[in-house]
Amino acid sequence: MKRRHVLASGLLGALHLAAPALLTGNQASAQQPQVRGGRPLRVGILQDMTNFDPQSFSSVNFPLIKNLYDSLLEYTPTGEAVPSLATAWTIAPDNQSVTVTLRENVKFHSGAPMNADAVAATLVKAAHPQRGRNVYATMSFIKDWTVVNPTTIRLNFNAPAPARQVTDLLQFISVLDPAGIENIDNRPAGTGAYMLAERVVGQRIRMVANPNYWRERQPVCNELVLTIFGEDAAASAALESGAVDIVYGGTARSAVRLRAAGYQLIQGPGPLVQVFRINTTRGPFRNAKFRQAFNYLIDRAAILRVGYAGLGEVTALPWAPASPAADPSYNTTYAFNLDRGRAMLQESGLTAAQMSDWKLLTNGGDEPSTLISQVVQSTLARVGVNIQLDLKQGSEYVDALLQGRFEATFGGVGNIQKFPSRLTTNSIYRTANNPVLGEPHPHPEYVAAIERVNRTFGTGPEVKAAYDNLNRVLVESAFGIATNTYDVGLTVAARNLGGFTLDIDNMIVCRTIGFTG
Amino acid sequence: MSGAATRALGMAKRLFRNKGALAGFAFIATVTLLAAFAGFLPFDPLAQNIVESLEGPSAAHWFGTDELGRDIMVRVVYGARTSLLTAAGAVAIAAAIGIPMGLVAGFFGGWRDAVLMRLVDVLLALPGILFAMALIAVIGRSQMAALVAVGVHGIPGFARITRAQVLSLRKRDFVTAVEALGASSTYSMFRTVLPNSWSPILVQVVVLSSVAILLEAALAFLGVGIPPPTPSWGEMLRTGKSYLYEAPYYAVLPGLVLTLTILSLDTIGRALSVVLEDRQMIGGDTKLERVP
Repeated sequence: MKRRHVLASGLLGALHLAAPALLTGNQASAQQPQVRGGRPLRVGILQDMTNFDPQSFSSVNFPLIKNLYDSLLEYTPTGEAVPSLATAWTIAPDNQSVTVTLRENVKFHSGAPMNADAVAATLVKAAHPQRGRNVYATMSFIKDWTVVNPTTIRLNFNAPAPARQVTDLLQFISVLDPAGIENIDNRPAGTGAYMLAERVVGQRIRMVANPNYWRERQPVCNELVLTIFGEDAAASAALESGAVDIVYGGTARSAVRLRAAGYQLIQGPGPLVQVFRINTTRGPFRNAKFRQAFNYLIDRAAILRVGYAGLGEVTALPWAPASPAADPSYNTTYAFNLDRGRAMLQESGLTAAQMSDWKLLTNGGDEPSTLISQVVQSTLARVGVNIQLDLKQGSEYVDALLQGRFEATFGGVGNIQKFPSRLTTNSIYRTANNPVLGEPHPHPEYVAAIERVNRTFGTGPEVKAAYDNLNRVLVESAFGIATNTYDVGLTVAARNLGGFTLDIDNMIVCRTIGFTG
Repeated sequence: MSGAATRALGMAKRLFRNKGALAGFAFIATVTLLAAFAGFLPFDPLAQNIVESLEGPSAAHWFGTDELGRDIMVRVVYGARTSLLTAAGAVAIAAAIGIPMGLVAGFFGGWRDAVLMRLVDVLLALPGILFAMALIAVIGRSQMAALVAVGVHGIPGFARITRAQVLSLRKRDFVTAVEALGASSTYSMFRTVLPNSWSPILVQVVVLSSVAILLEAALAFLGVGIPPPTPSWGEMLRTGKSYLYEAPYYAVLPGLVLTLTILSLDTIGRALSVVLEDRQMIGGDTKLERVP
């Protein structure tokens, strides 16, 4: 068996120390300032949570997950796996299983011990199509698991799996207290640095420090209060008036304004990518040339500026910079070029009426989506494609999006900083049971490219070739035109805060945050 | 000059002796003219220039630019089209349905009155904004949807005012005299009672116009009005509120135009009401025609 990682937990401390160097707002010094607690940490958020289940990976639950739970391992901002509840993980030479060694003497909030049985109970939930919620899809390559001893569990795969796919799963698994799984929606049952003290629906969630927490000298603050503001402007005003110490999950525009006013802006390594999703089974989008023209017809820089106040990066591929498949050269090759786009439209052979015979489904409840849709509408009018926006709100929009009742629409895509085939957890990129493109998948070359990525192991040129092939297919099939990265979970903090730990999914990690003055 | 023209001119003179009404009329006339002839101006309300987004008022852009670099003043002018067309359409719908309802209910009374007024009660029981949102949810977002929603919301007002006026006229001597001379119910209703009921209806037209503009703006503000990029005052307020820190003019200036429009219509409505009341008090409103 080859050992991929056996790292001391001190590495997490190193990540903690390195984090300030990644701050993009007020650039903190590389030297982490000394932080202390002594008073509650007050965080303003914009939406109430839906439940306490860490397998429900909704952005409204992001303020809770990393504070109430620990996962088996963590990623550094650059994507390197480091220990957490697992101290080691060893992938078999045939890539058919992974053996996970668990940290000893870790207890759940209930006082029960965290052990291999608890991990097994967590996996049972994760493997259930409904109860597993967002983790279920990531469990697809797991065949079964064996509890070797109280501190060791082995997970067996359906087929050989690349290391990154394995670590992605282990990072995704927050270990649950078996006694609390049934009631996990209403009551947290984790090992995290904070324990639930009070929840007032729609108003606040108060947490207190876990006295038995396994990381030394953490959490820094003994109390954590999440206050729900609902309105971005109200949360920003609370920060400026000193009523809260942090605003988490606010808009990019507010974040930029507050940064200019001297507040700290922390951007994590786990952005989403905005993707112009195309239903290739409808209207003019059945025509490949017409679709491919959109690689050139979308003004990505304008979209980034108008929709996201310039926070993020333009990208022609659905990857975050930390993704192993990221290839910035595509941004140059497929830069905004009206002439090239116009030429490709002509090559499509479609008439002007056919090219305009579709509507752009727009999420009317999301201001950036409405704005960037208008940018596209205006750009297309310049090349003679005159379309209307089809504004839908709330669940009506989500239904249309997830059931493929659209010709084209913008939608954020996640899991883009992890193993490239995790892209297939997003509806438009699914290789099987695709709710938009249907069955059989109309782009078999894409399905094959994903399969090739999943079956290519190691770190050699063959891996890069598989990624290059996937990138080429993505651009040529053109059912998803990536435009820009943008941040979920933007953190804006008062000047006297320090100790930020960046999470690969941009969740807020409060256990290391304290006051510097 | 005919008698009707003379009467109208006299009424206009009395109306414009009220300085508030005169100012309001001037403002509404300016907005209406700009909206009507906006198409002849060399400005495009949809033209984006993202490099110039959120620039403050200047000689080039009197009201500044929005987040897509569009000229806010041009959009306010084109937005007036949306508002005024919605108001005119809504008043037309409400009057076309509400006035006959009130006329029939007040003139005939009995079961017709009971049925029609219960229908009006049902419409009154529905909160206007909720009714409009429900209707738009069914038929989709468009100017026609907003216009119909606001129009239906205005029906009860016209019906009740017309009915009240007809009830007060129904037993007047001149109506009894016309009927005694052998006039049919239809003649009596449309040629005798209705022409003498116009005063409060005219005021209601002005009042509903302002309500319609406000309701259309409210629908757009709530995100269920006319879809972008069509300019709409309510939509500008909705988007502009997100930029109150960076670009306060974005929400304030369209809001100011909306406020002045409502204020102008209300001032005209109040002055008109006073003028028409005076006219009724001196008996000038009673209009009799020869029975054929």
